[in-house]
Amino acid sequence: MGIQLSEELILLFNDAGTFKALATSDGDRIPDVVAGGIFRISDEGNIIYLEHLETSRTNHNLVSAIWFERQVSIAVLGRNGENYQIKGRPVKVHITGDLFRKYYMESRALLGDVDLSGVWVIEPTEVIDESLQRRQAREEQQRPFFRHLDRLAKPQN
Amino acid sequence: MSVALKRIKESRSTLQEAVAKYPDVPGLIILKIDVQRRGVHYTQRALDAVDPAVHQIRTNALFGSRDGEFTPRPESLLLRDGTSIVVDSTPVEKNPYLVDFVDGRFALTDGEELLEFVDLWEKPKYYDLETSSGTPMANLVTARPQRFNILGSSFCHFVVGDKQCRYCDIGKNYKQLRQSTGIPARANPREVAEIVREGLKETGRFTTFCITGGSVLKGVDLFDQEVEWYIELLQAIGENFETKKFPSQLIASAFNERQLRRLYDETGLMSYTSDIEVLNEEKFNWICPGKAESVGYREWKRRLFKAVEIFGRGNVATGIVGGVELARPFGFESEAEALRSTLEEAETFAAAGVPVLSTVWLPRPGSLFSDQQNPSLDYYVQLFSGLHQLRASYGLTIDFDDYRRCGNHADTDLSRIL
Repeated sequence: MGIQLSEELILLFNDAGTFKALATSDGDRIPDVVAGGIFRISDEGNIIYLEHLETSRTNHNLVSAIWFERQVSIAVLGRNGENYQIKGRPVKVHITGDLFRKYYMESRALLGDVDLSGVWVIEPTEVIDESLQRRQAREEQQRPFFRHLDRLAKPQN
Repeated sequence: MSVALKRIKESRSTLQEAVAKYPDVPGLIILKIDVQRRGVHYTQRALDAVDPAVHQIRTNALFGSRDGEFTPRPESLLLRDGTSIVVDSTPVEKNPYLVDFVDGRFALTDGEELLEFVDLWEKPKYYDLETSSGTPMANLVTARPQRFNILGSSFCHFVVGDKQCRYCDIGKNYKQLRQSTGIPARANPREVAEIVREGLKETGRFTTFCITGGSVLKGVDLFDQEVEWYIELLQAIGENFETKKFPSQLIASAFNERQLRRLYDETGLMSYTSDIEVLNEEKFNWICPGKAESVGYREWKRRLFKAVEIFGRGNVATGIVGGVELARPFGFESEAEALRSTLEEAETFAAAGVPVLSTVWLPRPGSLFSDQQNPSLDYYVQLFSGLHQLRASYGLTIDFDDYRRCGNHADTDLSRIL
């Protein structure tokens, strides 16, 4: 079931200074991570990923994911330390049509003489705040045994 | 419960069973296979939602439709994974899937069950234009989502003397098209070049050409006239490109080495396909009498292997009409036997660098096999998987006839991850 991304996350996602990486896996569960691709947020709140190569490992893994209902993951790192992971499932790939041609032309305007294989639509299913401070606070609240005692000890002279 | 409803229920469980039975085959591809096997019928609600300004309506085609009529229907469908379902309108009494319009979207349904939302193919912009001589461009060059389709001869000379392939309705379709639309049997290469020039203005739309047609036997050597025509056509198309070679596929008769060499050297053609149709000499002789008498099974095969030397490995293929090897009365008696024999023979092609690709046999009303039934969904899932596995085993690609450029072969849909 898809979820709605927060306005804050959409703003972060659309910031040109935000780093993004897409993780997929193949049929043998071997992971594959690519950084620096072109991502967008669609009007419906889904993540758009532009895949330029038909033969890339990512593309093959995305095909496998839509065929066999596997999830993918996107890391989002903001310029001010924001750190999120978005899990999602590929629900559609546009290989033709107006939307495809729009991104085909946008890709060529941005990157020069490149081609476009598909416009992947990834429906977000989970957002995880990965910033260390927040994760640590959460973990310490929920699993209080996972701490070194020296962090709790009184200061010694 | 009516008989029709009972049959629908039986068919639906077959699809679900197949999806469960073959977990390594994507459910979307199994659905495609079954939709091709059973055909589709457009509900009135769906037809009302078709927008001729946006959607591609069927025009000129080599083969007729399963309802035997030339009615304006959407050309075909796209699934959400980018897989095309090349499928035509089928009478509702034959138990096809339905294309309906649900919640503002086109949907494939079976009985009461909504199976998938689908897109209709979008019409290329040149479809609204005419050539400089006033011919509607859509009548001469048709389209798939990424491909220009160009008919050489829409008449097959094997029809003369009743030597046409027994599953083929090209003869009847030729007459019907001429009478109802006035579309010429053969397009003028200059007009085709003009249409291609117009089509290329639609940035990001087209990636290849498929040129095909019926066999033309005339010439000093068999097929010389057919080859001459294709050379003229390819050269005219090639004027639109800076490079000598351009992504293209010719599906034609089994040409001899001299003819193949001419096609490769004198044009921009990059791939060659010649359909052997049935992978068994005895069945081939019965089902394809014209091909058998003019060239013969073994020579057809030898010519394909020779084509690899000219066009290169990965650039030559042959097609079969999957399932027709089970036609009555002289086809294989069991699906198991047909499958084993077909895949064994397909391996001899793969080993020589010629991938075999398959369509689903549709017993069309204008063909000699019109009253027959195509095989089970199980048969097709195993056949298409087997052909894909052969490509994987022999390291063969099928880029010129894949899910994007063609979309009519479930086996090449599977090979998109090779």
